[in-house]
Amino acid sequence: MISFQLTEEQRLAQTMAAELARATLRPAARTGDEQLAVPPSILRAIWSTGIVQSQADAARSATLNAILLEELAVADAAFAIAAAAPLAFVSAIASQGSDAQKQALLPLFAGDQYRAASIAIMEPDFTFDVSAIRTTAAKTSGGYRLSGIKGPVPLAPQSSHFLVVARYDNGLEAFVVERDAPGVTIGPKRPNIGLRALDTATLTFDKVELRAGARLGESAGGDVKRIVDSARTALAAIMTGISRAVMEFVVLYTKERVVHGAPLAQKQVIAFRLADMRIETDAMRWMTWKAASILEKGGGATRAAQLAYTYAREQAMWIADEGVQMLGGHGYLRDNPVEMWYRDARTLSALEGVVGV
Amino acid sequence: MIDFELTPKDQEIINLAHEQAKIARRYASYYDRHENELPPEQFPEANGLSNPIDLAESAADSSGARILHSLVMHEIYGGGIALHRSRWGLGNTVLDTVATPEQVEKWKNHTIAIAITEPGAGSDPANIRTTATFDRETDEWVLNGEKIFISQAESADAAMVFSRFVDAAGHRGMTTFLVEKGTPGFTVGPQLRKLGIRSHDTCNLLFENCRLPEFNHINGDFKSTMTVFNDSRPMVGAMALGVARAALDFTREMLAKNDIEIDYRGGIRSRSAIADRLLRLEAAFEAALLTVLRSKWREQQDIPPEVEASIAKAAGGKAARKITQGCIELLGPEALAEDHPLDRCFRDGRIFDIYEGAGEIQRLIIARAILDYTSRDLR
Repeated sequence: MISFQLTEEQRLAQTMAAELARATLRPAARTGDEQLAVPPSILRAIWSTGIVQSQADAARSATLNAILLEELAVADAAFAIAAAAPLAFVSAIASQGSDAQKQALLPLFAGDQYRAASIAIMEPDFTFDVSAIRTTAAKTSGGYRLSGIKGPVPLAPQSSHFLVVARYDNGLEAFVVERDAPGVTIGPKRPNIGLRALDTATLTFDKVELRAGARLGESAGGDVKRIVDSARTALAAIMTGISRAVMEFVVLYTKERVVHGAPLAQKQVIAFRLADMRIETDAMRWMTWKAASILEKGGGATRAAQLAYTYAREQAMWIADEGVQMLGGHGYLRDNPVEMWYRDARTLSALEGVVGV
Repeated sequence: MIDFELTPKDQEIINLAHEQAKIARRYASYYDRHENELPPEQFPEANGLSNPIDLAESAADSSGARILHSLVMHEIYGGGIALHRSRWGLGNTVLDTVATPEQVEKWKNHTIAIAITEPGAGSDPANIRTTATFDRETDEWVLNGEKIFISQAESADAAMVFSRFVDAAGHRGMTTFLVEKGTPGFTVGPQLRKLGIRSHDTCNLLFENCRLPEFNHINGDFKSTMTVFNDSRPMVGAMALGVARAALDFTREMLAKNDIEIDYRGGIRSRSAIADRLLRLEAAFEAALLTVLRSKWREQQDIPPEVEASIAKAAGGKAARKITQGCIELLGPEALAEDHPLDRCFRDGRIFDIYEGAGEIQRLIIARAILDYTSRDLR
């Protein structure tokens, strides 16, 4: 039955996330961007929400995660990913892992300290596509041998585990790889255009020998398509959040800024673009919710997630671009956040697979 | 709880509407080419078939009457013409909203068109010049003025006319009058020559010393009268997207015949440019349709839907333009021929961002809301 009704629990969690975003995350956003790191206090704050730990629970809700990621991303998209990356890892283990994998890995993420883990799916190649992954896993007598290069991998230096997506037996499978496994090399810090607080790096897997239990789902295998669907939904949620950040900021700015005797916002050319920002942000959110609710019910969400992701990529970039334009020269200065959102929006819209709902 | 799945009942009624739209489509091009002929009240194939709109209004276990009605209209517009012509006009909604019980009783079985737009007043009803002056000698109102672009003008039994008034005491203001067909001084002009929606009955109305008793004065305040558009705006969005979907469905089918299909699993570098364009049009469709459902859902919750109604109308209108134009570009020169459906979709699809409040008017309403501006702050 079609409904946009949040449950009382969702509404409460949304309010708390919004408050954390406003009071704690937003003030640290510029620092994260400039220092190329998520401040420890922010990691603690993210962990205190329980958003990552709760994924181990069978009652985890993709819809609630989408709602929360939007709120976190209103404050800062990189911080939202600092939550969404380990979330994706834990959620993949909890929903697709074998019993042994769940028992071995989930308790590691139940503690009271922030713990990083990431899904390594993208590859440092200008023709990269999730449908053309080059990293390979081959069967060996004792397990698998993994070879390839992955990147950008968010939070790579801090992560204890990676879930590496590789070509295996004419399909795609995911493998749990410990950071310290022989043959795994984490490249130097490699900052990107945006989301600079995320410590991204390139990972090299040089004939890494994995035990038989390393394959997600073990002999049953995993469902990489579902990991990608979940990631696209999460990215759409985060792009909805960053779009809202831009919109809320420029609404205030254009009401205050007087040009030719009247506030900018009283000019239709500006006001209409603000209206379009609201229209598109709304649409992005409903598309995200739709994909998330299908995922939550266990249905096939590939199309809904692709549509949400495709639409959000287009609109978030447009909104961030207009945001810079509305501030004019001030939009180009690093004293204002819109130039950061402009870089973050471009970065977000190029990502695949690293986050989840 | 957030959910986007149709109930089995929703699906059943939507499927019925879809099947009827497929039948109706056979007539669409005839009435597209014969715009002076009114389509019959119902086509022969409609005999014995339930009207899905009636079913939507009364269905149990649906997603709700407002949501389901909009999805049924969405299907009907995909057919280009309705198998059952609506007996309901927006004027009926005004009657139901603001008239006295006696007035409702008298006209409840009439089809009542709504007449607002004038040559000098479209998006700005404050410029309306049509005026009713009270004649003390006969205790009648005397209506003078011209209304243009009036839907259902020829088929309706009466028109709900938005007008200025000068009463017996000389007070002035805005009000509405119900004018029945056949009232001396009320003439309906010829069918307008339009780009598309040519089966859609649209004429101008002329009122020359048209005398009306006080009983025909539907004395609601102007503001509550305008609330009828809260319901109709998202509905127009749903209708726009019905036309857009007909274009998308045809385009997807023709591309698939030529082995061009979207693989939703892949990323942007896995697709051809054509598949990517089609995907973006599908996304634009989905985006707009969800804003319609959001608005209709709020209406069902009795949450004042003003901004959401405007968002749905603006999103639907814009998406219909983009999608119907884009589909022709995707399929190339063969898509131009009149015997393919894209010709009509392209022309029909252009109206929705214009009528019942142009996209610009919706954006004014949305912008005022997010900026906390009055209509004086932002004009």
